Amino acid sequence: MVEGTSAPIKIAARGVERHFGADPGTAVHALGPFDLDVAEGEFVCVVGPSGCGKSTFLRIVAGLLRPSKGDIELYAEASSETPVAMVFQDYSIYPWKTVERNVSFGLELRGVSKKEAVERGRHWLERLGLADFAKAYPDTLSGGMRQRVSIARALTVEPEILLMDEPFAALDAQLRQVLQDELLDIWQSEARRTVVFITHSLEEAIVLGDRVVVMSARPGTLVQSVDVPFARPRTPELRARAEFNDFKNELWQLLKGEVEHYMEAVRATGATDGGAR
Amino acid sequence: MSDSPQVVLRRTASDAEKNPGATARRRRMIEVGLAILGPLVFLGLWEVCVRNDWWLDGRLISSPWEIITSERLREAEVWEAVWVTTVRMLKGFVIGTVLGLILGVAMGINRYARAALNSTLTALYTVPKIALLPVYLLLFGFDEAPRVYMIATVVFFFVWIYTMAPIMAVPMGYREAAASFNATGWQMFRHVLWPAALPQIFVGLRVSAGVAVLMVIAVELILPRDGIGYFVNRGRELGLPDNTFLGVLLAALLGIVFVGVVRQIGRWMTPWAPEDNSPGQI
Repeated sequence: MVEGTSAPIKIAARGVERHFGADPGTAVHALGPFDLDVAEGEFVCVVGPSGCGKSTFLRIVAGLLRPSKGDIELYAEASSETPVAMVFQDYSIYPWKTVERNVSFGLELRGVSKKEAVERGRHWLERLGLADFAKAYPDTLSGGMRQRVSIARALTVEPEILLMDEPFAALDAQLRQVLQDELLDIWQSEARRTVVFITHSLEEAIVLGDRVVVMSARPGTLVQSVDVPFARPRTPELRARAEFNDFKNELWQLLKGEVEHYMEAVRATGATDGGAR
Repeated sequence: MSDSPQVVLRRTASDAEKNPGATARRRRMIEVGLAILGPLVFLGLWEVCVRNDWWLDGRLISSPWEIITSERLREAEVWEAVWVTTVRMLKGFVIGTVLGLILGVAMGINRYARAALNSTLTALYTVPKIALLPVYLLLFGFDEAPRVYMIATVVFFFVWIYTMAPIMAVPMGYREAAASFNATGWQMFRHVLWPAALPQIFVGLRVSAGVAVLMVIAVELILPRDGIGYFVNRGRELGLPDNTFLGVLLAALLGIVFVGVVRQIGRWMTPWAPEDNSPGQI
């Protein structure tokens, strides 16, 4: 989408690398050098084998971690209070806060009064079907509902850039599809902002993304960036089309070799993924 | 595309990422330095105040330098007192820990044991332990036993609570995985409940270790016969401030060493448990 469109660049990553550990004997080269441009309003999905550093990359974009080399620039409106928000895979909504207070958390940290923050969160609570659970504690909710809380929390701060780190990975297949469809609808109808979405699922990447970025086995570098050839607005029925499966197979051919490299590395060293979690 | 003013957020390497080895070494040096510097500053202030008669009266209060250069340190009596106190404290600690573990495990596993004992133990827990001393003297005579049992009692309550609570909190998923393999009660305990609770149990043991030192000195002050507490007390009675402060310093050292040992044992026994998840600052 970057080529051929006039949308300005929102995220520019140049030569980003990350190494973990100080001791040269055990240090791990987790990521890069990795380059990526993401345009304003673009939905980019990043796929790659386990441990390829895709989550590490996202955490660097979010500012949770610094790169070892290279840099990333994010372009944000000066007036933006919270330009970047992130949805995590798990363990990130607080059991000691009610659903509505979890959702208003980001605004409360910005100094918005509790009352106003809850009020501003209500829209997203309703949009994600959480209105009836506003006063419930997360532990009483199902996994799918909890991830909806996490998404509502991120959207409530009205970020310009939304980062999503395998948000549906812990859900069962049906629920996963339901949440994909909901996110697709929300993004296409009213939350059309820049998104970087990490996933293991090619199907998820194709349904949601304008573009799929395929990363290599560790240390993750760019294998290929492929535009998703399906017009918007998309509907969930896209999954049933023959072209959908053809495109998925095409991507799998790109990814397969990298997954095999990863498996060889696992067999050779016994090491699994980079432990970025 | 908007024309409103823009800001650029940059994500880039800081010195810590460019030189991870040097950063880790520097961090370690700062930590060690601070760990040494903290007590030195405290002792230094004490020394200066005593010498200049600021706040502290040099006739009544010894300075750290006077304490460590004191002739008394070379006398066998001092080291005998340290030995007596250490042995007494360890006996009490071991007895209290064993009893605390037994009841903590039983009550963590079995709801009936919990129902039967919880209110009684909670009631006893709230009794000031020093108030038990006269009772113990009646029950166990006037020799070593009541002294050791006083320490054991305090340790027991901490270990009991810090064992029962984490066993009860072991997540259902851990239990069910073992249950699905038809684990026996003992296997469930040995492979799941005990290791899951152990890191928390060691938090309790560290707390108890500190309290054991506190308690042994308290008992020795109240029942003066021997040990560091007696040494402290006699210093006061005979007007030998050196004695008193040397005793206090020895008790503090005993505390540091004992808590450190318990902590290290905990690290060896729970290699899977991260002691520190924090990045160093909030």
